[in-house]
Amino acid sequence: MLTVIIAVLVISSVAAALALLLVVAERYIANYGQCTIDINGQKELTVKGGQPLLGALTEEKIFIPSACGGRGTCGYCKVKAIEGAGPVLPTETPFLTAEEIDSDVRLSCQVKIRNDIRIEIPEELLAIREYECVCSDIVDLTYDTKRFRLELQDPPTMDFVPGQYVQFLCPRYKGSGEEVYRAYSVASDPQDKKMIDLIIRLVPNGICTTYCFDYLQAGDTVKVNGPYGEFRLSDSDAAMVWIAGASGMAPFVSILHQMQNEGIKRRVTFFFGGNQVRDMFGMDRMKQFEKELDNFTFVPVVAAPADDEEWSGQKGLVTQAVQREMSDLSDLGDHEGYLCGSPGMIDAAVKVLQSMGMPDQRIFFDKFE
Amino acid sequence: MKQSPNMRDLEFMLRSSRIVAGGFLGTDGRSLEEIIDADMVSLAHLGYTVAQVADRMQQLTVLAIPELGNSVAVGDHLTVTSQDYMGRIICPWPHPMSLAKRITDARRTGTDESICWTDLSIHMIAEHNFFEGKGSAFRIEPGKLVNLIF
Repeated sequence: MLTVIIAVLVISSVAAALALLLVVAERYIANYGQCTIDINGQKELTVKGGQPLLGALTEEKIFIPSACGGRGTCGYCKVKAIEGAGPVLPTETPFLTAEEIDSDVRLSCQVKIRNDIRIEIPEELLAIREYECVCSDIVDLTYDTKRFRLELQDPPTMDFVPGQYVQFLCPRYKGSGEEVYRAYSVASDPQDKKMIDLIIRLVPNGICTTYCFDYLQAGDTVKVNGPYGEFRLSDSDAAMVWIAGASGMAPFVSILHQMQNEGIKRRVTFFFGGNQVRDMFGMDRMKQFEKELDNFTFVPVVAAPADDEEWSGQKGLVTQAVQREMSDLSDLGDHEGYLCGSPGMIDAAVKVLQSMGMPDQRIFFDKFE
Repeated sequence: MKQSPNMRDLEFMLRSSRIVAGGFLGTDGRSLEEIIDADMVSLAHLGYTVAQVADRMQQLTVLAIPELGNSVAVGDHLTVTSQDYMGRIICPWPHPMSLAKRITDARRTGTDESICWTDLSIHMIAEHNFFEGKGSAFRIEPGKLVNLIF
């Protein structure tokens, strides 16, 4: 019996000693002290070592696009780590191409700062800022889509290029114990710099959309950072085909304001698709744009109106409507395509536009993948 | 039964809302191992394997994807709809796997009997024998699933 007791005591003591050793090691050996981050050879930050690069940059108000809050799940937060980032981790490889790995591209959320580090990021990211906003208005657009108006407080104005998006910081709430970021296109007039509109569709059990739909109320303070993204009107005069579904309408609202503000007269045919009539919104505003813009045509398309819904517009998939409506053109080789919506819709729309002769380099979209 | 540290970490992740609101275990008080064991027993009684179930779910999903959120009839008794959303979702198990955010609804035609699953559900069933905990948004009862999709 005594032997058993002694054995238990010895094992417990050894375990306790090992635990203590781990704590001491974490405190003294794994203490990386102060490290520097050299950005583009132009800016040097001094940060506490041991933290992920993405977090360190965010603390210093340098915002790298990231939709997952640094969990290594979105693959957005790529930076070029020239020196000091260590080897590529298995958690990064699914998001990196061979070329990117060869070019020292890394996921900044997975890179732990253990020493001085040298990185390169696009210059425009240095201009990204965080904005504190008040959600001043929430409007139901459909049963699963709302428009959120955010009045900018600090800083009080934002310059963005129509088509760009912001990252919305979803705070901790009852349904989620961690802060996450989600990307949403700006849907408002770029001339109105004091506020931005976001059009958000509910993702069942989505962390951020559940917060926006069930918890966020008018008057609440929220944070966004941005603007981000290359989705925007090209400088050409080419006629355009726009294809969107659901909240994919957002960037086009902003671009239509831009066309109005700048007197852009490019020909646009905008196909907006929904599964049923209840999925459609913004129709009156689009009709108004049709009156105000010389060469803008809005084509709402409903795939399968419910038995109790009245619909006199185009029917079928939005991609089928594109094929029907644009079939009088021999090909779309001289047009440009702009797409925003679910990844499935974008894939289908790309195929249709390609089949109608539109070259890949003239097809633009933000897939938010 | 005592859990290994890895299982404890995994269960903590599954109970948390780090990936989906409400977590993957819902209100289920059983351990992850108990949930998986019970579902595997149910499935074995029904005479199916996780591979057969996941393959059929994948097959139905693939049939519905081209309809872009509209329903498609599959045989005489099933109507299937698949809806995708922007962004991707990761598997909570500790391995690199991200999937499209897509929800597929399979319905016995003309009835209210239906089951929803995600691309992640298919992966978790096929690779981890996990049908989620009771009370979670995408918990799938093996018996109900088998009865509907085969």
